[in-house]
Amino acid sequence: MGKKLSLITDGFIKNNPTFVLVLGMCPTLATTTSAINGLEMGLATLFVLVLSNMAISLLAPIVPDKVHIPVYIVVIATFVTVLQLVMQAFTPGAYATLGLFIPLIVVNCIVLGRAEAFANKHNVWESALDGIGVGLGFTLSLTVIGLVREVLGSGAAFGWKFMPGDGVLAFVMAPGAFLVLGYLMVIFNKYLKKS
Amino acid sequence: MDKHIVSPNPHIHSAVSTESLMRDVVIALVPAIVVSVLFYGWAELLILAVSAVSCVLIEWAIVKFLLKRPGIFSPGAALVTGLLLAMNLPVSTPWWIVLIGAVFAIGVVKMSFGGLGQNVFNPAIAARVFLLVSFPQQMTNWTAPQGFVALPDAFSGATLLGQVHILGAEGADALASVQTFLYNIGGSAGEISALALLAGWVYLVVRKVIRPWITLSIFATVAIVAAIFHAVDPTAYTGPLFNLLSGGLILGACFMATDYVTSPMSNWGGVVFGFGIGFLVMMIRYFGSYPEGVSFAILLMNMTVPLIDRAFHGKKYGRA
Amino acid sequence: MVLCLTLVCLFCAAVLGGVYALTYEPILRANENVLKASIAEVLPEGVEIGEYETIETGGKNFEFYAATKDGDEVAFAVKSTTIGFGGPLTIMVGVLSDGTVYNTSVVTCNETPGLGAKCQEKDSHFREQFKGFGSDKKLWVTKDGGDVDAITASTITSRAYALAVSNAVALVNYLTGNAPSVDTYTGASLKKDESNVQEEEEK
Repeated sequence: MGKKLSLITDGFIKNNPTFVLVLGMCPTLATTTSAINGLEMGLATLFVLVLSNMAISLLAPIVPDKVHIPVYIVVIATFVTVLQLVMQAFTPGAYATLGLFIPLIVVNCIVLGRAEAFANKHNVWESALDGIGVGLGFTLSLTVIGLVREVLGSGAAFGWKFMPGDGVLAFVMAPGAFLVLGYLMVIFNKYLKKS
Repeated sequence: MDKHIVSPNPHIHSAVSTESLMRDVVIALVPAIVVSVLFYGWAELLILAVSAVSCVLIEWAIVKFLLKRPGIFSPGAALVTGLLLAMNLPVSTPWWIVLIGAVFAIGVVKMSFGGLGQNVFNPAIAARVFLLVSFPQQMTNWTAPQGFVALPDAFSGATLLGQVHILGAEGADALASVQTFLYNIGGSAGEISALALLAGWVYLVVRKVIRPWITLSIFATVAIVAAIFHAVDPTAYTGPLFNLLSGGLILGACFMATDYVTSPMSNWGGVVFGFGIGFLVMMIRYFGSYPEGVSFAILLMNMTVPLIDRAFHGKKYGRA
Repeated sequence: MVLCLTLVCLFCAAVLGGVYALTYEPILRANENVLKASIAEVLPEGVEIGEYETIETGGKNFEFYAATKDGDEVAFAVKSTTIGFGGPLTIMVGVLSDGTVYNTSVVTCNETPGLGAKCQEKDSHFREQFKGFGSDKKLWVTKDGGDVDAITASTITSRAYALAVSNAVALVNYLTGNAPSVDTYTGASLKKDESNVQEEEEK
């Protein structure tokens, strides 16, 4: 059980997709204008990651080596499109904010990266756990980045405004994403990774 | 292996230390600071004090507690950054915005890259742009308080460059005169007197603290580009004199673009660097959505300095 | 190899087809709700919102919805797009059939956060001032000699917003045959000062 648990916790710290592997930077920088947006994007990726990891671990033994990348991409794209349609239908608000970045999950290196590096060598159960771990790690990172940007940039946390007026607007805009990501990466690698 | 201590540059030791260079820069800034305090009074003094003191203190704290290398603390350079930052802000800037600017200039732009000599961007300019993006309302509020000397005529509330949108290019051109050369209210605090800024710059050149090529190249490029556009359509594009005298051009060209760390080492590199700044300034002023582009132009060209240095080698040591 | 890829693709296509069929209705309904809400916001309560219509006038395409009460056309909701500071600014403008603005709401907005993006704030002075904006007042910003107070330090967004409202009013006047008292349509709202505009009116 300890090994299974470490599959999940690895995704948080040792293999943290954002701060350690530095994968999936496009949605990380673009969607983290607030904690809620980061959380939603993280969960959307988590959903795709878990399902694609499971499907690919099942398919891997029967797919010939030469076409394994096209097959993985088709599988991932299918799950992303399913997610997109479902979000459009049932959470139109979240879809309006994330819209453009949902289809981009297809080319998120994390998803294909886990398929190549993990899912095609492990069984369904382990692949699902890995997907959950990495997905949660991604979600957590995005939420933290979003929270920092929201607190500094709009004086709010998870939509709750604790000060009147605007914050330091640069943090809500693109430059702030790079700044916050950079400093969080420094802090993460200096303090958390060591322990 | 650990017997040899590798330290970041500068490695050359000479009688001219960083601190003595920075003392000269501070002396060169004095005329412009005196003029701005005369015209803006206590409010300007407060901004200068907050900015200078917080820059020095933040640098000291980071060097001592975060980097734990007190040896690299250089109060002179931090002081210059603080003064330049204050001169780049409107006098009405609240003190806490100045403080945020100081934290950004020293903490993010300078110390994150390794401190003195390592920063890619000019800290004062980068902080000004950061504040401009973050607090657009406060940073474009040019209302000025009464200073120690009475203003000769009523101040209209828009900068010279802002007037272009109100009066049109021809009307704005008429404003550039001998008077604007001596004093020009509105805009960032340090921009009041072209004469005072140029006096400081001449002092630096005479003392051989800086070489004149970058500044001259910026002025020449701005004048030529403006002259060409003005000749084509004087109703749409302001002329060379107006563009040389307005906004932060003189402040930027004399004191910001010539920063040692973030400008090319060779003379020809400096000329190319200056041309880039001058050209970008004019493009932003004519076609950009912000009225002023000196700070953006300097930051953009800061990024190209390593490339320029590769293309134009400086004088090699031991050769004439 | 080919067989495997074909099978995977076929299977995925089938899954997607199924999901699409299942979500088709809910997506339509969700989109409709969003649209309905933005229309209802700008029109008086208790009106019947009609079908989606388009019209081309003055070289621009407009989408609008006529609202009726007891069979009479009482108001129009016009989707009006102009270019703001950060790209297209699309707003929904509710105009009563006498040419008075009822209310406005933002559909898409890419303006600068903290400046132009403030046009999205409901109940702000900027948004409130358009309520009941009659044809006797000039629909452009005060800086250009009009009656619209601009958002602080965001003249370009304010101009775009006012122009979008003014275009919508002009469209409604055109639809109902009202003679506009001020030439709001020709872009007079971008004129630099009042004297210019008055000259135009005299012509």
